[in-house]
Amino acid sequence: MSTRPRSLLPIWLLGLSALVLLTLGQVAIGSTGRSTWAEALQAVGGVLGWGDPLPGADQAIHELRLWRALCASLAGAALAISGVYLQGLFRNPLAAPGVLGVSAGATLGATLAILLVGGYGPELLLEGTRSWTPYALSFCSFLGAVATVALVLSIARGPGRSDAATLILVGVAVNATLGGIFVAIQALVLDDWAVAQAMLAWNFGTLRDREPYHVGMILVGLIPALLVIPRAAFALDLFAGGDTDARRLGVSTRSMRWMVVAVASGATACAVSAVGAIGFIGLVVPHITRSLVGSGHARLLPASALVGALLLPTLDLLQLGLMGRAVLPPGALTALLGGPFFLFILLTQTRERSW
Amino acid sequence: MVDQGSSSAPRVHAKDLTFAYEPTTPVLSGVSLDLNGGEMLFVLGANGSGKTTLLHLLSGGLKPNGGSVQLAGEATELLAPRELARRMAVVPQSLDGVSGVHVLRFVMGGRYAHVPTWGSPSAEDEAAVQEALEQADASQFQDRMMGQLSSGQRQRVLLARALAQKAPTLLLDEPTNALDPEHQVAVLDLIQRQAQSGTAVLVVTHDLNLTSQYASRVLLLAGGRVAAQGSPEEVLRPEILTPVYGSRLWFGAFPDSGRPIVLPRGR
Repeated sequence: MSTRPRSLLPIWLLGLSALVLLTLGQVAIGSTGRSTWAEALQAVGGVLGWGDPLPGADQAIHELRLWRALCASLAGAALAISGVYLQGLFRNPLAAPGVLGVSAGATLGATLAILLVGGYGPELLLEGTRSWTPYALSFCSFLGAVATVALVLSIARGPGRSDAATLILVGVAVNATLGGIFVAIQALVLDDWAVAQAMLAWNFGTLRDREPYHVGMILVGLIPALLVIPRAAFALDLFAGGDTDARRLGVSTRSMRWMVVAVASGATACAVSAVGAIGFIGLVVPHITRSLVGSGHARLLPASALVGALLLPTLDLLQLGLMGRAVLPPGALTALLGGPFFLFILLTQTRERSW
Repeated sequence: MVDQGSSSAPRVHAKDLTFAYEPTTPVLSGVSLDLNGGEMLFVLGANGSGKTTLLHLLSGGLKPNGGSVQLAGEATELLAPRELARRMAVVPQSLDGVSGVHVLRFVMGGRYAHVPTWGSPSAEDEAAVQEALEQADASQFQDRMMGQLSSGQRQRVLLARALAQKAPTLLLDEPTNALDPEHQVAVLDLIQRQAQSGTAVLVVTHDLNLTSQYASRVLLLAGGRVAAQGSPEEVLRPEILTPVYGSRLWFGAFPDSGRPIVLPRGR
């Protein structure tokens, strides 16, 4: 291997083309039926202003599918890249965003907001009456995510400590607590079917009825995570030998840790506030990608984003193609397929894991 | 080697270093030392005498409870990690968690402080890595993973990474521990060449006989204090070592150089 990686350009082009095709496929195939590639192209062209949109409701249906597709791939990318960041920083293959409580916190934040929207709290937010209600929901979800990470990190004595075992145990405890609160709240509002269903959607994610602002929200978290790759990649490589070693080589470990935790939680929080909690992507995709491009973060970070962007839409499309409609929420899909797949990786990996 | 800072100030100047992990049991008390360019200072001491702690204090990994460390006249704690890494390279005794890292990429880690914050390694950095690998006799396994190396090979790769840092000061924690005799002298020859070209070298070790042959100066720690300091001939003497290491030592001399030999004596 050379430290100057051989050109991955062909693979990137292949991956990005696959992503475009996948997106078009998702625009063409939906729970309301299939349309042709030409129709899908025309619909996308209509959105971009490159041509005439499809007539009437057809365009609206295809646009919904497009937002669904973009949400799936961008959220997949965001969750995957967060996973790589956190695993590298904490030198632990289990340090997925879910373990740090980002997802649970985001879910709880959204749940509390739904409670208010649903009329269970002081009338801060009223259902459907204000145009900013959905934005406020996402914002509360984001706050919940950030607050939870802050809580987990401060209990585990701040990110100044990279004692991964402590951190993961704290994460497990906080996750369990938040999960308990979530179930308790859900039990209390089961009478109100609409509210209970909205909460469930946050817990296993949803790609239904997504709008452009959902796509934008994921990008708000994803773009910084992509932008800091050149700043963080080399330093993350050095964290493998521990904090002391990284500092001796010149890494400002404290500020680097804050930056990485911030962009990783930010990307996850934004993704979760747009599509709800979708597990396993942040855990499984980094492992898959590591086996493809190695453990150097300069390649691993962007490649994971691409693999994540391909994986979630693929699962979604498979479900639509096989069953004709989206029966399962995306979080259930990733758990059903990701869990066993992760076990498979663990059992077949005979070499020492190179994380 | 580029000399940094004022030429009159020693490369490393530690004054009255005091450190305790727990307030009641000081590990180091009032340790002072100067390290100059071109010098090989060997730090000796029994287990628990504070050698490794001293290394951590000198390299900025620990903050002293009292006293100060200066690099070329500047206080260590005022230097940013990058600046510190450009001035001082540390070879740790061992390193966990890197077994999945490619040797070449591992050694490139030594260039971190030279690569621009938003940049990636340049051709110059790659050349420095190759040069360091060759110097440390480690280029033949540059394509392997760290986990596939023997402990001796690992030690040489650790050394190569420190050399790639091209820092004017080099601190080594028991660099010959895992090495066979041939590689022990090979590594120390290499470190000596670095010193001869102007690098300030500090070696923490238990090996009294390598100390005798390579040290330009010896510092003996006992109970967290400097028990003796001087040339190998001045320090490696029965009346100085016996209080520190006990009486089960045999003292002799190399026939050619007359330098002292100290061996543990079995029953």
